[in-house]
Amino acid sequence: MSVSAKQIQKINYFSKVPEELCSEIAKAVEEKSCSPGTILLKEGETGDTMLLVFQGQVEVSKNMMVKTSSGFTMSTKSIIRLETTDPAPSNDPITQPTVSVVKAPGFGIGEFSLVLDDAKRTSHVTAMTDVKYGVLSLEDFSKIVDKHPSIGGSVYFEVAKSAVNNLATATQDISNLTQAFFFALTK
Amino acid sequence: MDSNKNTQANSSSFDDIDKKIQANQVLYDQLHQSLIEETISQVEDENNKKGSNKAEISFLDNFISKLSNYYSSNELFRYALWGFAAVFFATTILTIIEYPLFSGSVKDDVGDGFMFGGSEPNWVDTFFHTFWWAVVTFTTVGYGDVSPETHLGKFLTIIIMILNLGIVTMLTGAVSSVLVAARLKGDDKLDETKFHNHIIIAGWNSAVQSALRLIEANEDSASVVILINETEEEIIKRAISGFDRLDITHLSENFTQEGVLKKAFIEECGTFMIVPDESGLLPNEKPDEDKTVLTALTAKSILEDIQVVAYILDEEYISHLHRANVNEIVFPDEHIPHMLAKHVTDPGVPQLFDELITQEKQDKGIQVVSIPKGLVGLTHNKVSAYYKFKHKWLLVGYAIRKAGFSLEEQMGESGSPIIRDMIKEQLDSAGIKLSSDEHVIVEINPDDEYVVDGKHKALVLR
Repeated sequence: MSVSAKQIQKINYFSKVPEELCSEIAKAVEEKSCSPGTILLKEGETGDTMLLVFQGQVEVSKNMMVKTSSGFTMSTKSIIRLETTDPAPSNDPITQPTVSVVKAPGFGIGEFSLVLDDAKRTSHVTAMTDVKYGVLSLEDFSKIVDKHPSIGGSVYFEVAKSAVNNLATATQDISNLTQAFFFALTK
Repeated sequence: MDSNKNTQANSSSFDDIDKKIQANQVLYDQLHQSLIEETISQVEDENNKKGSNKAEISFLDNFISKLSNYYSSNELFRYALWGFAAVFFATTILTIIEYPLFSGSVKDDVGDGFMFGGSEPNWVDTFFHTFWWAVVTFTTVGYGDVSPETHLGKFLTIIIMILNLGIVTMLTGAVSSVLVAARLKGDDKLDETKFHNHIIIAGWNSAVQSALRLIEANEDSASVVILINETEEEIIKRAISGFDRLDITHLSENFTQEGVLKKAFIEECGTFMIVPDESGLLPNEKPDEDKTVLTALTAKSILEDIQVVAYILDEEYISHLHRANVNEIVFPDEHIPHMLAKHVTDPGVPQLFDELITQEKQDKGIQVVSIPKGLVGLTHNKVSAYYKFKHKWLLVGYAIRKAGFSLEEQMGESGSPIIRDMIKEQLDSAGIKLSSDEHVIVEINPDDEYVVDGKHKALVLR
């Protein structure tokens, strides 16, 4: 079964793209599925593909140095979970979430690959349920954009919006961490 | 001075100003009158509510709560109650099982005396009879006037007597252990029930007595005081003899020790005051202020939340005390340069300070009063009008209890929740509190539109 234009349109980055052009993108997307526990993206790896999650729950995590009872250890800390609502995951996640679960009809991950040639993955993404997803490579996407420049405008606008939001959050995080750092130093 | 110049320059328009004031006076009065009526009625409503709530707390609730307090605080009472319950339980069982036996022996025993059941013994008589037998047996007195006769009765008695061995031993042990404990603790064990929100003053010098006199004069302040210092008992006794309202206890021990502070129930205290200790010093010797810093550290290590006020003579120690997280520092030398200079630059100001500070009457001078709930959330001009017209007090400003710095507040809602949680978690595990201690800041003569919230208390000049 191939990917439909409707599935593509559920993903926030493509929500503004007209349906007939979505089917154009759908043709370029290769559909895949995986079982729970599969690592979809690995932090630090370079990649030239964006993943479009159609169904399932995934966990985004990062390698971090944390202090535990046994001293400082490098461990993988989960940051957020993403879950599709349309359709909902077909089975329960393998572990209960310890972080907040954000729900959307469908979502794209690794979207920086649509912007940069060899973008480094910024975090791990692991499947928590059976996941149905599609793979869109930068190369294929560029070809579509060349043919239909209007797609590029709306998609890159959405990517930029999410990047700006992330940047604002990150700035606040840095300021929080700096304050906490000074606070801890004065104690 | 500026205003002087202005009025001179505009002396011709004095009449105009007077007219304007007069015209506005009516409006001003009306405005304030309605405001005052509104606020006063709000405050009164609230007081009424409080009053009616109080009456509803019934006598029974009070009694039960007192009893349960007593139960949890007195070991002997606890054991006695359980012992009594055990005897009572045994009696009930025996009355039921051996009813005919005890019922029969009632008549033999009592003969022609009074019985609840008239001529024939009833349940009450039998129960009381059995109870009598049980107590006689339990206490190992054993009159032998009543005794079980049937095999079953004797068998049950054997079981009860063996159980009794344990209960009596336990009770005896409890009584003696409580007595021994009381003796070991000695006279300096303080009665913990009254120590709550009390004042502890560590160290002794001439300022303490005067400070106590001022605290005594203000009837709204705490009345239970513990003095910890190693000054001779006689001197302290003389110094604290004149106080009626204050209930002062003297602990003659070294206040730098954690155990001593805990004995003074420092976890429960309202204010912990440390003063330069002149105990046992000659007139020309200086108090050891290291002790002040050490004590502050000890107190804060027992419980971060203790409100610590330190009186310091040497400027050098101020930074140490800040590091010890002392809430308030009293450093008198700080004021001297201002007082001296103001005699030159603004004559009258030092005199004003003198007058305000040394005012000993309770109903005069600068005071902190809590703001009636009805006024919370209003602006400064309304609150100030309330005090002016209701009490004829001048509202100088506000004392606000504030956490010095709260990381949680600073971090706000933006930023990733995961990072915020991680910061909290990690700081928590490192034993670092997310906010620095609460302390009092003062807001003097704010703008009219300044909003007074619940953390404010009014500074009034009476």
